[in-house]
Amino acid sequence: MNCSPFDLRDYFFDELPDDQRRQVAAHVATCAACCEELDRLRLTQAALLTLRDEEIPQRIGFVSDRVYEPSALRRRWRAFWGSAPRLGFASAAMLSLAILFASLYRPATPSADLTQLRAEIQKAVAESEARQAGNTAQLLAAANQRYEEDRSKDRQALDRAFDILEKTVKSWYRAANYSGDGQ
Amino acid sequence: MIFRAVEDADLIRKSAHGDVEAFNLLVSRWERRVFNYLLRLTGHREDSLDLCQDVFLKAYQNLRKLEDPARFAPWLFRIAHNEAFSLLRRRKTEAEEPRPPHTGAAVPLAGSGIYPLELTVAVSSALDRLSADQRDAVVLKIYQGFKFEEIAQILACPVSTVKSRLYTALDLLKAALAPSATSQNARGEI
Repeated sequence: MNCSPFDLRDYFFDELPDDQRRQVAAHVATCAACCEELDRLRLTQAALLTLRDEEIPQRIGFVSDRVYEPSALRRRWRAFWGSAPRLGFASAAMLSLAILFASLYRPATPSADLTQLRAEIQKAVAESEARQAGNTAQLLAAANQRYEEDRSKDRQALDRAFDILEKTVKSWYRAANYSGDGQ
Repeated sequence: MIFRAVEDADLIRKSAHGDVEAFNLLVSRWERRVFNYLLRLTGHREDSLDLCQDVFLKAYQNLRKLEDPARFAPWLFRIAHNEAFSLLRRRKTEAEEPRPPHTGAAVPLAGSGIYPLELTVAVSSALDRLSADQRDAVVLKIYQGFKFEEIAQILACPVSTVKSRLYTALDLLKAALAPSATSQNARGEI
């Protein structure tokens, strides 16, 4: 153990925040025990690093393989949607278009009142048309009746005129016969 | 390093869109690190090479799932960690089949031309005596230089667990290596 204000091993691996690192550095400068512990850590690390990295015996390489490659369309699609700003922009554009469309082509939603009003109007129109048709029929019937009455009166007057004419002709004929017999 | 990270991010983006050449370039940049990580965990070159190929194949197949290219290294080593520990579990179940021991005897020691053989043998033996979890933490911190937060992501465990494994391992390694390193240092000074 050591008397460092913070973990000396964290300090050794440079994993302390700046202010803590400064405190430990100041402490180590005056504490022989911590300085010795730090030296042991350095020696241990130096000993470990004597094992050097090896060269890889065989380079690893890949060849183009369609099994693992997505199609060009899929790549473009993924590339497009893989970007958060693009996705955000597309969402905003879609929302704007939806609002614009809704404002321009807002479908009229028939309410219950409007439907009832339309039914009442149609009913009133139908009733009015029925009344008009009834009146017209009555007028036509009255006109026909008047026409028939007038015609009957004319026929009677004509009959009377014929009777008078016939009587007149007969009287003329009788008068002529009388005058002939008298000669 | 920053330029390399930027270039890696560019290669990752191209690879994710199916550019095999970009992925090959990415592999060439990371294969040595991944291979050595696997080698230090498994202690077997052939196994490590096979695992390394599996790691990069899985990385290629799943690269589109990587959301942040800046997190490529921990993401890649997470795959490598899973592959290595799958192999170690398989080995455990095949206990009746004798396998060569860990790094000490199976893998000829690298770097023996620069450092004394005595020291490299001592280091290999000390690493062999650690548990797989402790060795994993040491390799990721000392040899691969990851931060605790990245190691926690690779091992899928809390940072506190990472520290616990690493510091326990360091205590063991210190006891095993510091005397010999110190004596070696002293001999070097003489």
